Parts: sequence; C-alpha cells; structure tokens
Amino acid sequence: MSLFTAISVSASGMDAQRTRAELITENLANAETTRTPDGGPYRRKDAVFAAAPAADSFADVMSSLSSSGGPEGVAVSNIVTDDRDPDRRYMPGHPDADADGYVAFPRINPAEEMVDLMNASRSYQANVAAISSVKDMINRSLELFR
Amino acid sequence: MQRHAVCVTEGMSLNRVGEQTGNALTWLARREEAIASNLANADTPGYKTRDVENPGDFSSVFATSLSAQEVPNLVSRNDGNNVSLDREARLLAENNMKFNLASQLLRDELKNVRSAIEEGRSS
Repeated sequence: MSLFTAISVSASGMDAQRTRAELITENLANAETTRTPDGGPYRRKDAVFAAAPAADSFADVMSSLSSSGGPEGVAVSNIVTDDRDPDRRYMPGHPDADADGYVAFPRINPAEEMVDLMNASRSYQANVAAISSVKDMINRSLELFR
Repeated sequence: MQRHAVCVTEGMSLNRVGEQTGNALTWLARREEAIASNLANADTPGYKTRDVENPGDFSSVFATSLSAQEVPNLVSRNDGNNVSLDREARLLAENNMKFNLASQLLRDELKNVRSAIEEGRSS
C-alpha cells in the first residue's frame, strides 16, 4: 500500500467510467436502430459497477485479506441489457413494419442518456483530479531528497 | 511511505519533530488512498464512504489505527451509495495542502540537521 495504490484505484475508476461512457454513446448512436444480429430492435445497455480491492502486489493481497479497510478500486461487474418492450411506432411504409404497420424501435430516451453521459464525464474528471493530487504528493515526497 | 517513516524514526531519534512529521505524512498518504477509493466508487451501488481518522497523536507509529473506516451519518442515495463528490473534492484539496505543509516542515527539519552536520565538519 502506497501512494501508487491510490493512483491505480483512480485509474480503475477512470476505466469504469470510460466503459460506461462508451455504452452510453453506443445507445445514443443506436437510438433508431431497428435491426440487430439477434433480430428485433437494438436494446439499451448499461454498466453495473462493483467495488474491487486494489492490489498491486502479493503482499497487498495478503494484507487486504487479513484486514478490512484497504483501498478499493472499481470494476465493471456486468453489462446489462434493457429488456423492456420496444417502443412501437405506426409506420406502415417502413421495411421492418409488422402486419399491423407498427415498427419496433429501441426504448431509448436521448435526454436520459445525455444526463448519464455528463455524470460519467464528471466522475471521470473527479478521478483525474485525484490522480493529479496524488502525483503532486509524490513529487513533494521526492523533493525531500533534494 | 511506511518504509520512509521508519527511516526517519530510526535515523533521527534525537529529532522529535522530524519523526512526527513523517508519521503525519504516512497518515495523509493513507487518507489519500481512501479518498481515491471513494471517488472511484462514486457510482458503485451500495458502496459506503470511508475515511482514515486523524490518530491525534503522531508520536508513535500506528499501523493498526491507520485503517479506513466507514464514515457514519452520511445520507445514502437510493442505490445505497453515500459518496458525496463535494465532500471528497474538499478532502482532496485539504489533504493536498496538509501534505504540502508537512513535507515542507520535514524539509526544513532535514535542512537543520544537515546544517548542524556541516557546521560540525568545518570547525
């Protein structure tokens, strides 16, 4: 455990938030997609986060097992697919329309996705701020040798 | 950090200020890890904010008292997470300034010790 552990914790946070932002942009890009390889419209995806002990070395793993309260990073534990019914719009001229003239569109709300994207971006920035603060502290420690 | 603190303790037992500042730096580094954990888990369902309390007395090394504990009396959101970005941002800035202060103190102490050695050499 050292200041470098704090950097890897923040890096895990950046990684998780980036994955989330990627999924959100994927959702936005596919907001009107009616065809997928699995058949049917595109379905909204979201990342599930879970805390994961941050360990750089074997000794860190051992100490995290014996005592609680070690630094915890974050990891994407699962990517869930929205299984709500698709949004049905009446478009008889559409090639994917069913017998009644309805087309199944993904149930994606662009406003909701944009809010999530901003959240992910802010959380990413918070992790970057933490890294630069730790970097500052490490540099301060190095100055002790001068 | 741990090794560093021990170094200072053993090398300058005549120097109480240096020893205590080294311990304070260890505490601040542990605290920074807790803050980094909180920020990384700001969106993790069920995660609880943790912090390393000020041990109050920096005169002895305190491996056990420096573990991160859950912070009581914080409001949880619907997903069971109670990380407040504002609280963590404040602590991050505060911790950084304290670390700067402590490392500056330690530098000055080391400078004093060095100048004492130099003086002894010249006479």
